[in-house]
Order: sequence, then C-alpha cells, then structure tokens
Amino acid sequence: MRLKTFRGGIHPPKNKFTALDAIRPMTVPQLVVIPLQQHVGAPCQPLVKVGDLVKMGQKIGEAKAFVSAPVHASVSGKVKAIGLVDGTLGKKIMAITIENDYQDTPDESISGQKNLDNMTPDDIRNMVREAGIVGLGGAGFPTSVKLSPPADKKIEMLIMNGVECEPYLTCDQRVIIEETDTMILGIRAMMKALGVNHAYIGIKITMEGAIEALHEKILNEKGIDVVPLVPKYPQGEERQLIYAVTGREVPSGGLPHDVGVVVANVATAWAIGRTLQTGMPLIERIMTVGGAVQNPGNFTVRVGTKIEDMMMAVGGYSGTPGSIIVGGPLTGFAQFHTNIPLTKQNNGFVVLTKEQAEPGEMTDCIHCGLCVQACPCRLVPHQLSKYAKNGDTAGLEQFNILDCRECSSCAYVCPAKIPLLHYMRVGKNYVMAKRAEQKK
Amino acid sequence: MNNKYLKTLTNGLVTENPLFRLVLGTCPSLAVTSAVENGFWMGILVTFVLTCSNVLISMLRKVIPAKIRIPCFIVIIATFVTIVDLVMEAYLPAMHKTLGIFIPLIVVNCIILARAESFASKNNVVLSALDGVGMGLGFMGALMIVATFREILGNGTFFGFHVMGEGFPVAKIMVQAPGAFLTLGLVLGAINLVANHKKAA
Amino acid sequence: MDEMKLIVQAPPHIRSPLTTKKIMFTVVLALIPAASAGVVFFGMRALLHMVLSIAAAVLTEFVLQRLLRKKVTIADGSAVLTGLLLGMNLPVAAPLWIGVVGSIFAISIVKQAFGGLGQNFMNPALAARAMLMAAWPNQMVQWVTPLDAIATATPLAIAKAGIPDTATLPLLWDMFIGFIGGSIGETSALALLVGGIYLIYKELIDYRIPLAYLGTVFILASIFGADGLNSGLFHLLAGGVMIGAIFMATDYVTSPSTATGRWIYGIGCGLITIMIRFWGSYPEGVSFSILLMNIVAPLIERFTIPRKFGEVKKK
Repeated sequence: MRLKTFRGGIHPPKNKFTALDAIRPMTVPQLVVIPLQQHVGAPCQPLVKVGDLVKMGQKIGEAKAFVSAPVHASVSGKVKAIGLVDGTLGKKIMAITIENDYQDTPDESISGQKNLDNMTPDDIRNMVREAGIVGLGGAGFPTSVKLSPPADKKIEMLIMNGVECEPYLTCDQRVIIEETDTMILGIRAMMKALGVNHAYIGIKITMEGAIEALHEKILNEKGIDVVPLVPKYPQGEERQLIYAVTGREVPSGGLPHDVGVVVANVATAWAIGRTLQTGMPLIERIMTVGGAVQNPGNFTVRVGTKIEDMMMAVGGYSGTPGSIIVGGPLTGFAQFHTNIPLTKQNNGFVVLTKEQAEPGEMTDCIHCGLCVQACPCRLVPHQLSKYAKNGDTAGLEQFNILDCRECSSCAYVCPAKIPLLHYMRVGKNYVMAKRAEQKK
Repeated sequence: MNNKYLKTLTNGLVTENPLFRLVLGTCPSLAVTSAVENGFWMGILVTFVLTCSNVLISMLRKVIPAKIRIPCFIVIIATFVTIVDLVMEAYLPAMHKTLGIFIPLIVVNCIILARAESFASKNNVVLSALDGVGMGLGFMGALMIVATFREILGNGTFFGFHVMGEGFPVAKIMVQAPGAFLTLGLVLGAINLVANHKKAA
Repeated sequence: MDEMKLIVQAPPHIRSPLTTKKIMFTVVLALIPAASAGVVFFGMRALLHMVLSIAAAVLTEFVLQRLLRKKVTIADGSAVLTGLLLGMNLPVAAPLWIGVVGSIFAISIVKQAFGGLGQNFMNPALAARAMLMAAWPNQMVQWVTPLDAIATATPLAIAKAGIPDTATLPLLWDMFIGFIGGSIGETSALALLVGGIYLIYKELIDYRIPLAYLGTVFILASIFGADGLNSGLFHLLAGGVMIGAIFMATDYVTSPSTATGRWIYGIGCGLITIMIRFWGSYPEGVSFSILLMNIVAPLIERFTIPRKFGEVKKK
C-alpha cells in the first residue's frame, strides 16, 4: 500500500523515548497560574477578584468576542493575585493565580455526562465554547470557531491530526493508545457539529502502537478511517497533512475550509470527548516532559502548572540543562527561567543539553540548496534570508515570504548554521510593516 | 594666485588622476598598455589633444551656445586628433600602426570630453591649459604604470628592453585582454585601498 | 535553581549534524581515490603538485584574511578543496610553481575579491585553470603517458587531430581505468566514479547535475560522433568530463539551487562541451563550458523558482 506524503521535509531524529510510557498524573501544584489568554483571539476579562474562593471548573475569565474562548480554574481554592506574570513567549501576560486548597471541589455548574445523540450541532458548539476548548496541537485556535465555518464553504470531511511530527513529544500518541474511546467520542461530536460523514485520522506508520490501537476501535465506526503517512517532518503541518490525505493544496492566504476540510488535533477531540463524559470544562490535558530530566514521561497536567513545579515532580535535571523548550525542539519556545505557567495550548516541554542546543559555528551561505529541498512550502529560504538581511521588501514579497509556515525545516538542515527561521520572521515583519504603512 | 595654478596643474597627476581616480578613458587604457612604449606615446598624444582642445574651448566658451556645446566640442577635439594622426603617420609610422584605431578613438576619449565640459567651458585659458597638461600627463603616467606590469610579466621586457632573464616564464595572458582587465582592476584596487586608508587616518 | 544560564534562541533548537566543514572535507575524501590514481600513474611529482596547490591556496586565504582584518576561515576546508581540485587539473610535467600561481589567483581573485565563501561567481579552481591555460599555454599541455612519463597526446588531442583510425586511439577500458595521458586527477574515470557515487549516497551532491551533464555528452557524442555508441563512451571517458561533471559542475555556489535549474544547468554544460569538442578549435571543452554555465547559473535559478505551495493560478 503506497503511503501518502508531501514534497520536501526533513528527517530529524525522532527521540520518542517516552512513546511507551503510560500517562501518569502530574502532581497538582500549590499554585496554579491561569493566563487570561490561552487561545488565538481576544483575551478574556476576569470574572473574579483577589480573595475570591473558586471551585474547580469554574469559569474565571469571560470571552466576549466571537474568536475567543473562556478560561476556567483548574483547581479549587482562593484567588491569590491577578496581574502580569512571565509567559511562555517571553512576554508578560495577564493571569489569575489561585492557591490550591487540595479539595478539588467541582463547580456547581458542572452538569455531568452529556449524551451526544440528544445534542444538535449548535448544542455541541456551545458546549465546546463554554468548556473553553481550543486547539491542543499548540496553535490554540478556539475550537467552537473552527466548528463554525462560513456559510458559503462546504465542508466535506474532518481530518484529525495524529501525526505529532516533533521529536520528543509523545502526548498525542498516548492519547491515541490509551484514551481511544474518549477521542473517538470527540471525533463523532465534531463530525456532527460540522455535518460531515467522513473523518480521517492521519498517523505516521512509525507511531508505535497507534495504528494497532485504532484499528480495532475503528472497525465498528462508520465513516472514520485511518490514513497511514510517511514519517517525515513537518507532516503535522496543517497544509501538508491536508495535501497528503486529500491531494488538495490550501490556496495561499486561504484556510482549510477553502478546500472543504477542517483539521483538528486528536488531543482536541479527546478534550471534547472528556467534556461530554464528565461535563468538566478544559482544565487539564496530557503533556510530555522529555529530554534531559530524571524521569521523563507523559502526564495529565492541570492547566496553569508551572514548569518549575513539573521539574520537581520529574526528579530534576539530568546534567546541566542547556535549553528548556516549551513545545517541540523544532518550533518551540526557549525559556529564560522556569517560573512560567503552562497553558491549554502547550503540549509539554523538552530539556536539551548544552551540546544539543548550541547553535554551532555560523559560516557564510554556501548555496548548497538543502533548504530549497527541505521547504514543504516550496520557497527558496536562502534567497529570502538575503532579502530579509537587506530589508528588501520587494524581493521578499515577490518570493512569497508570507507563505512561510515557520516549520524550521530550512534552519534545521542548513550546514552553515544560518538562523534561517529568524530571518524569515524578520522578513515577514518588514513586509507587514510596509503594508501597514501603505494602508495609511 | 600661484597656488591655484599649481593646484590645477598637479590635480590631474595624482589627486584626480583621470584613469585611477576619475576612472575615465579605460578603453584605450586596456588596449594600449600591453607595452610601456605604447602607453607613453598614447599619453603624449592625449596630452597634446587635451591641452589644445581645452585652450580653444576655453577661448570660445562664451561664444558656444549651451544647447549645441557637445557637437562643437567634438568638432574641436576631432580637429586636433586629425592633426596628431597625420603627424604620427608621417614621422612615427611604426607606432602609428601599433596604436592603430585607438588614435582616431581619442576623439571620444571620455577624459577629453569630460574636461571640456567640466573645466574648460567654465575657466579661463591659462587654467584650462594647465588642466589639460596635468590631466594628460597624469593619464600618461597611469598608462605607463599599468603597462609596466603587463609588459614585464607578459613579455619580459620594459620599453622594449629585456629585463627578465631568459628562463622567465612569461604569462601570455598579461598582454591579452583578460590580463589588461586584471591588471587595471588590481591597480585600481590597490590605489583605492591606500586612498581609503588615508581618508580614515 | 534559577541561576542557570539557559540558551535562548529562535527555533529550531536542534540542528542537523551536517556542517560546512564536514561537507568540504567529505568532498576531499571522495577525491582521494582519483588523487591516489594520479600519484600511482604519474609518480611523486603529482603528489607534489597537489600538496603545493593546497598549501598555496590555504596560505593565500590566511594571509589575505589577516591583511584585510577579516575572520580567518581556512579551517572550513573550502580552500583545501579548491587547492586540491586545481592540483588535480594540472599536467604532471608542468612546472611546480604553476599550481602555486593558480591557487593564489583562485583564492585571492576569484574567491576573496568577490566576497569570500559563497560569493564566487565562477568555480575558482576552474577559473584558475583557464587563466593558467591562457598565460602559459605551452606548459599546460605537456601531457605524458602514465607510469613511464613519455610525452604524449591526450585521447582528445588525437581525436581532434582527425585521426579516425581506432588503432591510435586508446582502448575504452584503458580510458576507464586511467591508463592515458591527461591531468593528474582526470584520467581515471573509475576512481572518480567511486568518489562520485559516495557523494551522491551521502546526499552531498545532487545527482541531477552529473546525470544531466554526462547523459547529454553521451547522447550527443553518440549522435554526432563517427562511431555511434562507441563515440559516446569515448567522450564520456576522455578528457575532464568525469571530474568536471562530478566535482566541478556540482560546486554549490556556482550552480543553481533549484531542481529544474540543475537539470538545465547540467544539460547546458554537456551541450557546450560537445560543441567545443566537435566544432570548436580546442580539443577539450569542459573548463569553458562549466565556466560559461557558472555565469548564467543565477539567471537559471531565477527562472526556475518552484511554484509555491498553494499557489493560486491567476485566471
């Protein structure tokens, strides 16, 4: 059977050391820090004040805009502070700090299990929105908005992203293997909300145990199929996944619904299924702690747990840490320190040793063309980086800088160790700044 | 007063050397510098034509209408070039043959037209004459410098005299076109290096 | 715990283990079989030529970068590679200073004067070879037979002289192993192919360029040659096509970086090589064909930029 894939891409070492580690609960910390923006879109407005008592699952941040999602308390306790804290992106963010009373008292509004058969598509969308469910693959796009495509776009199918192409991360893999029923329930809910009859789950053939685990369960499910994919990075990029499964290319500047597809991460489906099963909004998710730590693994983590608390729970570092990356090592964010809360969007963190993280000596570009071969969007990174260095916005626009998905394939492969992704971002900034100026 | 005249004369020798600093007249430079003697004679011819045309144009500068000044300059320059062409043919036929078409091409040598336009048409006769002499001699010096490298490395001779031993492997490329470009380029580069160093100092 | 110094950089945070230095030295490694064949066939003088060329190239780069107060980059191996390639392109009987002069030219003018690594507009070793040919044409065509060093003509020179008798042309098998007159490194097609296949396996050179170049030469020589397919094979094994197609034309800086561009570039090289060999006045056309294609490579790259993912076709 010929496997599906896309052109370009790279083969970094998988390092899926925690692939076979069953999910364990992460120690619930004494303090959780709930940022008011854990999604793409407008930030939430706080509904509580310092000193208030909150319950687990209580809505503490209201989302007014359409593209937004509410945030909830992940523990029961007392609101200790509402203010700016350091976030994963290196910027200060507004967050609510709650002191845990270790009672885990659920909020009164939690209504318990829901029956999917009794819900209309609108019911499903409202539930998803109220539960604060966002894309758990890392982007954090509000799922209720994803399930409400524009009226003129006909959606034919749902594609589930079970690829998890980043090295080290195995949380989605464990969800597929251990939480299969919950995930499938979530998929069914999304299919109903969108009104589609087909869902495809994209999985790399090298994801140990996943295809086997799914195979049995899918046999009885009508309309859900597994699509095995060539293990290549970045197969998990939305556009590359759509291309591999359907052969369609999302038009430049467009979105998946332009080709009749909606893509969602398997963990997001799991979150929806969990809410259907328990009524509890999104207050915890599966995360991987990987790399140079004593006891790496996959954990159920309460939203708002700080990295330093998780580090203590996994037994500390193994050797001297070089970089701490929230997300995967190819697209994740390096942290300055560990007093940082993790949010719904984060799928874990990886500790890299100094040797692994050191960028290496940079030489001039030798025009080897490896970046051109690697780019899944078929751009020419070395040329774009030269335009970016010179601030040449005409050249940048002519060669489509804005189509760069920032997957880092080019920078990974470059033998001259040129920070290509950095230049891509610089270039995009130049172009966006120029466009903003022209609008005036 | 003295200073102004002296400055005008010496300007074209070093500070504003037409070939090395103004980068004018590169075409004959590349062509005739395969031997130092050729460079010498080309320099003489250009100096003569430049000085004479500068003087005449300066004398007529108030008379020549601005709109048709270029054709007027060319006519004047062409007159003097014709004179040197005929003189060379009569008294130095061998050199005349060697320099060939580059003698008539002195008419369109950028140096002469540039100095006519930027100096002779705006200054008095004496200053224009001095400018012509200075620029011409500067050009000659430059040609001879480039030709020195090319002739010695490419032919083993200087001004026709053998200066390198019998066994010296002459690099034929130096007396051909690529060698001309390389030499001129490297000399210009070296001069720029020195000039920039001086500026920074 | 928070006193630790963490490395914070833009992604990616892990990188491929391949470096510029590794690439350069791996190519040098791939040239060892052909260089060794050169020493076996032409003696220690061949080794001396290569050593002198490499030393001159590295020293020139070192001195220049020091003088111009730039970072000294001789450790990245690119000067070593240029020196080695130039040394392998010399006839063994040429004077020993010729490789030195060539290397100095290659590094100082063709490479450094244009901006250093990644900026040369032509292959430095090949440009130096062309310069040496123009400057000292007699010294650069003193070909000798392998092993016994008797003055001889290369197979191409024989063919150019118009002697159609196959008795005077060397056997194809000899040409494959390298028992013919020629430059130090170009004679053994076998040794060069070994190196080339290794580099393609390591994904350090794109198979497209040598395939297009050699393929075009073979096809055109078979069509226009006097002996059909035999002519095709003859022209593949004669002269510098093997070393040119595998090691010179594939130089990253002077070839296009797009897939289609590389096909066009390789075919162009093959076309011009055959044109010069068959209808030009030189017996060998490889150097000039590669240099000419080097000059148009940026243009080729510009016109073969791939269609981006998600390109909306304007109706």
